[in-house]
Amino acid sequence: MDLFAQLFVNGLINGSHYALLGAGFGLIFATTRIVHFAYGPIFTAAAYAAWFAANVLGLPIAAAMLFAALVAAALGTATYQYLYLPFELRQSSSHVALIASLGLFIVLENLIAIVFGTGGRVVDGYQYDIFLVGPVYFSSVQLGQVIAMIVLTASLGVYLARTRHGKAILATTDNPEMARIIGIDTVKVSRLVFAIGSALSAIPATLILLKDGATPSMGFFAVFIAFVAVIVGGVGSLRGAIAGGLALGMVESLGLWKIPTEWQSSIAFIVLFLVVLLRPQGLFGRAVN
Amino acid sequence: MEYVLHVLVMVCIYGILAISFNLLVGFAGLFAMAQAAFYAFGAYATAILTLKLGLPFPLDLLIGVALTGFIGALVAIPAIRISGTYLVVVTLALQVIVIAVATNWKSLTGGTDGLRGVPSLHVFGYALNNPGRFLPAAILALGVCFWIAWRLTNSPFGRALRAMRENESAAEAIGKDLLYMKVAVFAFSAGLAAVAGSLFARYLNYVGAESFGIDETIYMLAMVILGGTGNLWGSLLGAALLVVLPELLKFVTLPTEIADKSHLIIYGVLLIAILRLRPQGLLGERSTMRHLPHVDGASSHGVSMPKPLPKGEVTLEGRDLHRRFGGIVAVAGFDIVLKSGSITGLIGPNGAGKTTAFNLLTGFLSLDAGSISFRGHDITGLKPHDIVRAGVARSFQDLRLFTKMTALENVMVALPDQTGDRVLDVFFRPMKIHREEHENLIRARNVLDFVGLTHKAYETAENLSYAEEKLLVVARLLATGAEVFLFDEPLSGLDRSTLAEIFPIVRKLADNGKTICIIEHNLDVIKELCDVVYFLDEGHAMAIGTPSQLMNDSTLASRYFK
Repeated sequence: MDLFAQLFVNGLINGSHYALLGAGFGLIFATTRIVHFAYGPIFTAAAYAAWFAANVLGLPIAAAMLFAALVAAALGTATYQYLYLPFELRQSSSHVALIASLGLFIVLENLIAIVFGTGGRVVDGYQYDIFLVGPVYFSSVQLGQVIAMIVLTASLGVYLARTRHGKAILATTDNPEMARIIGIDTVKVSRLVFAIGSALSAIPATLILLKDGATPSMGFFAVFIAFVAVIVGGVGSLRGAIAGGLALGMVESLGLWKIPTEWQSSIAFIVLFLVVLLRPQGLFGRAVN
Repeated sequence: MEYVLHVLVMVCIYGILAISFNLLVGFAGLFAMAQAAFYAFGAYATAILTLKLGLPFPLDLLIGVALTGFIGALVAIPAIRISGTYLVVVTLALQVIVIAVATNWKSLTGGTDGLRGVPSLHVFGYALNNPGRFLPAAILALGVCFWIAWRLTNSPFGRALRAMRENESAAEAIGKDLLYMKVAVFAFSAGLAAVAGSLFARYLNYVGAESFGIDETIYMLAMVILGGTGNLWGSLLGAALLVVLPELLKFVTLPTEIADKSHLIIYGVLLIAILRLRPQGLLGERSTMRHLPHVDGASSHGVSMPKPLPKGEVTLEGRDLHRRFGGIVAVAGFDIVLKSGSITGLIGPNGAGKTTAFNLLTGFLSLDAGSISFRGHDITGLKPHDIVRAGVARSFQDLRLFTKMTALENVMVALPDQTGDRVLDVFFRPMKIHREEHENLIRARNVLDFVGLTHKAYETAENLSYAEEKLLVVARLLATGAEVFLFDEPLSGLDRSTLAEIFPIVRKLADNGKTICIIEHNLDVIKELCDVVYFLDEGHAMAIGTPSQLMNDSTLASRYFK
């Protein structure tokens, strides 16, 4: 029972991390329909930006997180503006943006590896607290992952539902052509979602830096997990992405009960494989004829 | 020197990989990103079969290719249900899972240590154990793989593949079996990649999971895109450039780790640059019809319209058709009887269920209830391509031409019963296909003649005028050889003079005993063309009669113009 409680909490923690990644990626994907693989290395870049701010500039963690969010937002917006937008204007097929995104993925990942080296980076002198509640252990960083998910997704939800810009985003997600007809500048909206989605990814990136350290290849798993969360939850739904991320974290964690550890990282891919084949509209999505 | 030969061997291996990947990505338009996994299957098959079972060449190669081809065929099955982005992601996931299995299944694959000591190839007791000796074998393998891919893509099967890439539903609507085509092209692509994998294992005498990661798939994709999708020579060029270019970097002294990373950066930058500057790649796709002779005065060859069928017989019959979308009733209790030699019009307000009725009759949508028969045979529940083969073909309101193919190819691909549509016949009955191609060329020219598009035969469909596109839709439909033609607004948006060109064509078809059904909004057209008119509203026929009967019915008029 104690083991179950621990695995359950671990699942909740990792699930929160995945949910937040999914929320950022899902916002971009649902609104622009671009398969933004470069979300991965931008996540990595955010982790390194946080490391740079904390270690080299000596900023406090909160400031480093903010710095990372700004770097990620700038990178994300620039990617849209200079990589995807020209293809969009040329009305290229959706595969073209996807391939370009893969291209940018390997460019960024390897640039980061050259600049920072392939070894992991940790914030010197950072120590997290360990809490013991009943039979269950967790750290302050892990607590931060859960809180960050709740606070950020709730704020995002309110922003989308209540503000003018948020409503424009929802309208574009729903029907881009109709949005253009009623006078929404969809290019501006796309730029905005790239900024918000990328900035969102910087928070989990910083927390992973504090928890495990940063490596140049950390982005691949991040973008894939984000994708899985979105697909499992159903494209176009913030709640779906959160539910998808949490479900994935739980399956992965509780799966440890029966499945050897070396397979743990494959679980997400197998879940994705099965969901897309059996229920392409996502577990929580509506069936589209 | 040894080094140059090594680079050339690698060009051959990647040449095979790029060609195999181009079959999927370039010709079939299937973005399945698991090519490095197929490569891995071939390499591990050779390593495991030679090391653990001691099988001699070529058994390891043949078993590896067959096994990988089979796995490729399995991957095609999800590709039927999902497309586009989802296919990319699922196959990426598959790629990751395969590499995880290769890394974790230590007893079989050696785990992270890989498998060492794969025996070199021997020819007459002569070991191919250095680049110079291996190169001829690699070139031979490349040649064979290139020839297989060339045969495949320059056959009627290859033409059908490109049609499927251009528009899947239109390919179905001319009678192509998409499942068969996807399974076949996946099996060939995977099998060819396995040849490269086997070569790799024999050449390096080592197989490890790190050689087959996602980076490799992206690397192959870069080669295909750089060289040009849909062009096999382009894939060779792309492979050569992307293998050789990074090697040149070795002359710049960099620490090895940075050098490796900068290779990957080069691929990425090249990939983006080519998409921006020359999306069709260095060598663009070329029409496969170049090598066919221009046939002039084709109609004098004696292949003419088939002899007229008897008129007035019931051909297609739909009874009590029902279909709902969620809570919306699209078709409810619709009955229709079409007769040979007569032109039936389908009119009614927008949303009346006209196009849905076509979709139900041709198998593009499944029925909730009801039955459909053709000449007394029940065809309810058949797949669209089977219904076309049975004799009922339809066109689409939004045309769905194969835009990157010539007018002639658009028609040729639609001709029925092509031996070359079957992939094994492409290799085992080349002479029969050659003869058929010649006949089919003449038949296609005749069809183009019939609609008056002969002068545009070698024009790509995207370069035709709107009226010509509409004519080509008619031509493509005729080419299927079906008996019943369902035209979805074939005449909308055309001016009077073009209409005057098309009317006699449709009339002539009916006079030949074909069964015609037309969805049309223009009442003048209906009056001039149709023998019988169905007035559809709320999903079923409100009235049936001659055009003048229906047009004098004031209640119908008020419904129509409400």
